[in-house]
Amino acid sequence: MERRKLLILIGVAALSLGLAQGQTLTIYSGRGQALVEPLVRQFERETGIRVQVRYGTDAQMLAALQEEGRRSPADVFWGNTSGALGQAAARGLLRPLGETLLRQPVAFTPASKAWVPVTLRLRVLAYNPEKFRAQEFPQSILDLPRFARERGLGGRVGWTPTYSSFQDMVAAMIALHGEARAREWLEGMRALSPRVYASNTAMLDAIRAGEIDLASTNHYYVVRFQRAGYRLDMYQFPDGDVGNLALITGAGILRTSNNLTAATRFLTYLLSPKAQQYFVGNIGEYPLVGGVVADPRLLPLEEALAKSPRPDLEQLPLDQALRLLRELGIL
Amino acid sequence: MTLRLPHLPGLIPFLIPALLTGGGVALPLLYLVLRALEAEPEALWEIVLRPKNLELLGNTLLLLLGVLLLTTLLALPLAFLTTRTDLKGKRLFALLLTLPLAIPGYVGAYVLLAATGPGGILPLPRLEGYWGALLVLSFITYPYLFLSLRAAFLGLDPSLEEAARTLGLGPFRAFLRAAFPQLLPALLGGHLVVGLHVLGDFGTVSLLRYETFSYAIYLQYSAAFDRVYAAWLALFLLLLTGGLLLLEGLLLRRLALARTGKGASRRARPVHLGAFAPLAYLLVLLPVLLALVLPLYALLHLASRFPRENLQGVSEALFHSALAAAPTALLAVGMALPIAYLAVRYPSSASRLLERLAYLGYAIPPLAFALAWIFFSLRSLPFLYASLPLLILVLALHFLAESLGPIRGALHQVPRRLEEAARTLGETPTGAFFRVTFPLLWRGAAAGGALAFIGAVKELPITLLLAPMGYSTLATRVLGYTQEAMFAEAAPFALLIVLLSAAFVGVLLWSERRF
Repeated sequence: MERRKLLILIGVAALSLGLAQGQTLTIYSGRGQALVEPLVRQFERETGIRVQVRYGTDAQMLAALQEEGRRSPADVFWGNTSGALGQAAARGLLRPLGETLLRQPVAFTPASKAWVPVTLRLRVLAYNPEKFRAQEFPQSILDLPRFARERGLGGRVGWTPTYSSFQDMVAAMIALHGEARAREWLEGMRALSPRVYASNTAMLDAIRAGEIDLASTNHYYVVRFQRAGYRLDMYQFPDGDVGNLALITGAGILRTSNNLTAATRFLTYLLSPKAQQYFVGNIGEYPLVGGVVADPRLLPLEEALAKSPRPDLEQLPLDQALRLLRELGIL
Repeated sequence: MTLRLPHLPGLIPFLIPALLTGGGVALPLLYLVLRALEAEPEALWEIVLRPKNLELLGNTLLLLLGVLLLTTLLALPLAFLTTRTDLKGKRLFALLLTLPLAIPGYVGAYVLLAATGPGGILPLPRLEGYWGALLVLSFITYPYLFLSLRAAFLGLDPSLEEAARTLGLGPFRAFLRAAFPQLLPALLGGHLVVGLHVLGDFGTVSLLRYETFSYAIYLQYSAAFDRVYAAWLALFLLLLTGGLLLLEGLLLRRLALARTGKGASRRARPVHLGAFAPLAYLLVLLPVLLALVLPLYALLHLASRFPRENLQGVSEALFHSALAAAPTALLAVGMALPIAYLAVRYPSSASRLLERLAYLGYAIPPLAFALAWIFFSLRSLPFLYASLPLLILVLALHFLAESLGPIRGALHQVPRRLEEAARTLGETPTGAFFRVTFPLLWRGAAAGGALAFIGAVKELPITLLLAPMGYSTLATRVLGYTQEAMFAEAAPFALLIVLLSAAFVGVLLWSERRF
């Protein structure tokens, strides 16, 4: 009898524990947990604000925000790509931000003023330096399928069709070169029977392990591998090529947020020298505010900015890109 | 006793939870269908007639058939060797051969990725895609088939084979003609469980990059965010599962194998292995090495490289896993009790239907089930969406079937006369149950709860889709780190899952006195 009462008590306690949730800052993050969790914890320690993060992909977060509508518990949308942030702004999910925040980054302030850019990353071609010399590579990523075919690289090329930066690059191809050219590129790549990876880290690990020879990825992944002492190199196409596309991560505050003070503090924190130094030092991204110690492996910021073409990053035809990827059976 | 109207008022406390359980399985599925039909007609054709779907179907079936074949090739000889021969250490081997049950698919895949290939701890080429998934899934699911065949071998009546021998058949042909048909129900039952695992598996195929329906559902839902297509893929997968269940039912119906009389059933004399003994040991040791020793060695080796400063994350994930799994176990037992009670004490088509629904909740591929619940909760119970109570509820509905078995068994052993005596003293059926029957059900309820608990700790897809934000469990951490190829970071999480499961498998085997 006593034992039963005790069990019932334990059950009630366990269930009520799950229900007890205090007032916290809720972030929907398209940025990976493995990369940014330490920074979030540091923010918690410094401000005493409790933070809950929902990690996933940009697409997942956008969709969740759409599904949840006015009932969304989210305060901040921390996006991995400007395309997703632009979509969130276009759908009226984000609040306009104050000038104090928007003035801080050196470039890429969006026309919508609904989110603030935080870091910059560039698409690069990661490759195994034992197999190629940089001079051999083509002048544009659009010629990559032909190059790989001529070098007999069938089955030795990797890609990440589910990754938001890759999808943004396809969208930029459509914006800059038209859908027909983007389709031709995707079909050319598909004909090489590329290996599909769920993450860039796993893909670069495959280059390190000699399973594949090259892959388009984001620059800081290569930097991370180089810092770990692995022999991996990156090739950047001539200035203005879509294969060097600049991608902006950023954050905005949701209209549904009832926690504005904490949300604003978090955005301010992301642009603080301390956080920006974390992005450079721990992840290897380019900072977007001044006064950060640069990494010798990275280009000076001005050169990095010149590498990429400049399509309107908020207006990338992401939906069209996804439709194309699905139509070709890549997604 | 059958269920008649006069009984109803006294049984209300049983009927309500039972009906809630039935609704919890049936409603979201209905919702999934509605959601899938929301698409515009021309978009619908595009979705259903995609060549990609055929490719996914082919991949899924190919994996299913491959795993069924390989598990049969493993489990049949192993079950024979550990029951019908004079192999030394049969009991110990039986235990060791069952233990791979403790390794979830995504941990198997993680070990394969971390340990093989260049830079791995084993000098083997890296297996991915079809062959990798086939190997991992076969080695973690063959114990189901092994256990069910062992039970069949132990229950075999040797007189049948002896009769065949007197008719002039050699030992091998006598076995094939007389004994083998007796094993078919166990074989089919085991195949069904293995098949459901393969269809529902998401972790293994996603890590080893082999696109089946489960993996595609997850991709469409999380990366490409096409909810309607994800819903359709979930429906296709449900159809496939339904086909598997139907096929098994049909095949079993055509087998009638009961003994005509009890007669003198006895245990067969063990087959003398003689010169074949070394070969038999090799055969028994191979799966133990590949499915148990190797993963454990790899896990320990990787855990030794684990960066110490992350230990806080390990304890947090352990706490989260327990916080979801403990209430899940309680709730699953709470739902299983009334269903088992109605099925055992008031057998009728209605109570049988309830039981079927409970088993259906287990058979539905978890990813499809979770997706259905997402749509359903957002539209009808928004306050529950992405909350811990919802995760617990859905996990409990899924693992309820695992709790039913031990509870039913225990109920059958409680004499009905005790309850009837209590009724004559003026108790309602419910009162009699709680004052008389329940105290005798302890063991069954505890075993049922243990099964649900360990199931919830290992479970991945439902947790992945329904967990509250920022709620990382042992399972989601293993997947997250492995996808990022951070193998050392994933090790302690994987190790904890395996050790927890192994402890439970041991307890269960001991309590069933199987050995």
